[in-house]
Amino acid sequence: MSFFTHRGFRGFALSCIASALLVAGCSKKAEQPAATPSQPAVSYYKVDPGTAATLTGTVYYKGKAPARKLIDITEDPACVEAHKGKAYDESLMVGKGGALENAFIYIKTGLEGKNFETPTETVVIDQQGCWFHPHIFGVQTNQPVKIVNSDPVTHNIHPVAAVNREWNHSQGPGDAPLNRKFPNPEVMIPVKCNIHSWMRSYIGVLDHPYFAVSKADGTFSLPNLPPGTYTVAIWQEKLGTQEQQITIAPQQHATVDFTYKGK
Amino acid sequence: MVWRTELMKNRHLFRCALSVLLSAAVLFSSGCKAAPSEKPIGAPVALHPPLGLPPVPIPPNNPPTKETIALGRRLFYDPRLSKDNTLACSSCHLPTTDFSDTVSLSRGVGTAIGIRNAPTLINTAYLPLQFWDGRAPSLEKQAVIPMENPIEMNQPHELALSKLKQDPTYRRMFREAFGTEDISLGRTENALASFERTILSGNSAFDRFQYGGDKNALTPQQLRGLVVFMTPNKGNCAACHTITPQYALFTDGKFHNLGEGADDEGTFKDLGRFSQTRIEADKGSFKTPTLRNIARTAPYMHDGSLQTLRQVVDFYAGQGNSNPYLDKDMKTIHLTGQDREDLVEFLKSLTGELPPNVGPPGKE
Ligand code: HEC
Ligand code: HEC
Repeated sequence: MSFFTHRGFRGFALSCIASALLVAGCSKKAEQPAATPSQPAVSYYKVDPGTAATLTGTVYYKGKAPARKLIDITEDPACVEAHKGKAYDESLMVGKGGALENAFIYIKTGLEGKNFETPTETVVIDQQGCWFHPHIFGVQTNQPVKIVNSDPVTHNIHPVAAVNREWNHSQGPGDAPLNRKFPNPEVMIPVKCNIHSWMRSYIGVLDHPYFAVSKADGTFSLPNLPPGTYTVAIWQEKLGTQEQQITIAPQQHATVDFTYKGK
Repeated sequence: MVWRTELMKNRHLFRCALSVLLSAAVLFSSGCKAAPSEKPIGAPVALHPPLGLPPVPIPPNNPPTKETIALGRRLFYDPRLSKDNTLACSSCHLPTTDFSDTVSLSRGVGTAIGIRNAPTLINTAYLPLQFWDGRAPSLEKQAVIPMENPIEMNQPHELALSKLKQDPTYRRMFREAFGTEDISLGRTENALASFERTILSGNSAFDRFQYGGDKNALTPQQLRGLVVFMTPNKGNCAACHTITPQYALFTDGKFHNLGEGADDEGTFKDLGRFSQTRIEADKGSFKTPTLRNIARTAPYMHDGSLQTLRQVVDFYAGQGNSNPYLDKDMKTIHLTGQDREDLVEFLKSLTGELPPNVGPPGKE
């Protein structure tokens, strides 16, 4: 008992001395200009607005478009209710004039050595009606990705990553969103739900902002592109990949179209 | 500054002398008197576990007697064990919800909120280690921990005991149970543990089917659920929630990592078993809870984060949350939509009876 009191006292006395020293140290410092830690500032590549070009294009599917498959989600009755209407396969969506939707277009080479700043905007992937929204999307490395469950059922999102870390996480109805990042470039990461086998999404991760998903009319646009020589690549879930070389002059409005041949 | 320190030193010396004197006095007085015996004096009573349960393990130095059980029961329902006389053991282990509570995280005295979900106490007599992280080696040692825990009853043991000593009924009951009127912590532990050993539940529809020979006790859907529960590449539930040919505790008493509570980085705020063992691979592991009466003890998991049995089953269907130490038995789970519905129905067949005399004393 007495030992404890004693030790307590010694501790107090020591801390008195320490705080006295601290006060002295502080007041001294205040007189001198604070030395700023000299950390090398990361320099990001800035696109010169005077020379920036734009690359646009359209993705086509040649041949008879297959009818979209109806997906059976009756395994989970709560999903049927939440989905509101029929669930159609999104893996090959061909519109008017053979316009191919949901292809992922990106600059594959030509940007080496340029360090692009990570966007702070959060990309949201929502699980609604036992379906991932969006189906295909891109993010920059380390860009915040927020995973939301809007459904009355539990999901278990599972990005089957090969370059990035593979993980899966349960998310019950009303659970807080998950906030994740993908630190490495990877095209594409298939995303599944461990509970609902039909749920599928794909994420393209790149260390630059030049990627796009073709819209319902098959078009895409990569604006604010520095002039240069590039490999433009396209990925489509069912039809695979293609590449084209292009050299883009300053301020040019360049176009690149892609065509997949139907079987 | 120097002057003040000097003064404090003097005062400190004085306090030192005083405390030396005092502790000498304490030593002297306790040296004269032997600590009161903690051994029950009454005839040991046999506990009769219902269908589906094995014999209750009994420590040799604390066989339950009629008197210790009655005393433990009174203590269990007594709010004087808490700082402001508002919380009894039964406030978080409610007899009406099979000795668990209905909130995700238990509320302590005042505004304190705990960090874990209150587990059911039914059949806790069979568990080799108590608490989600196993930090108490026996029911005896467990019993007095919540009394002092600041986020639970938050009252020094001395104070609790002095409150009990003022009650002539307790003085009588301690005498009848242990031979003298002394009210000590050890005696309190023993009495509470003996009462808890009587909170047994079995004879559920599952038990009548599995051990009672009643082939109609389970519905066809529950029967399918039982098969899913047992099959390694379906539910694989019995890998941890054990069923033996003679009895079923629905727990292996061991610690497993399901990823429950893993955050966005795959790390754990509550490190679970690791806090006891300091073994890296124990991070995020928690004790397998029993599944008996599970339909009546929501919410679920150590953090009370899952609200319904359906959510629990879906959690398993998704193979939990990935993290470095996820149990390998989680990875073989494969459940179809039908399996999941059947499992939930099966879990409902585990609700058994409670003994008649475990409610508040004087109310049976
Ligand atoms: C404020 C709410 C609260 C009170 C009051 C309380 N408990 Fe608990 N009890 C809990 C929680 C929460 C846990 C789980 C804590 C942990 O594992 O860390 C628990 C765990 C236990 C366990 C372990 C069960 C197991 O399966 O591992 C036993 C036994 C127990 N309590 C008995 C008691 C007794 C006896 C009292 C009265 C002296 C009591 N409790 C008072 C909330 C409470
Ligand atoms: C690897 C061992 C393991 C397997 C396999 C397993 N469980 Fe569990 N179970 C646990 C552990 C450990 C906990 C507590 C986990 C926690 O809170 O972090 C638990 C918790 C639970 C709970 C919540 C209990 C409560 O009181 O909060 C239920 C219900 C449950 N399991 C049912 C099942 C079902 C159904 C299956 C099969 C689909 C299953 N378990 C498979 C180990 C397992």
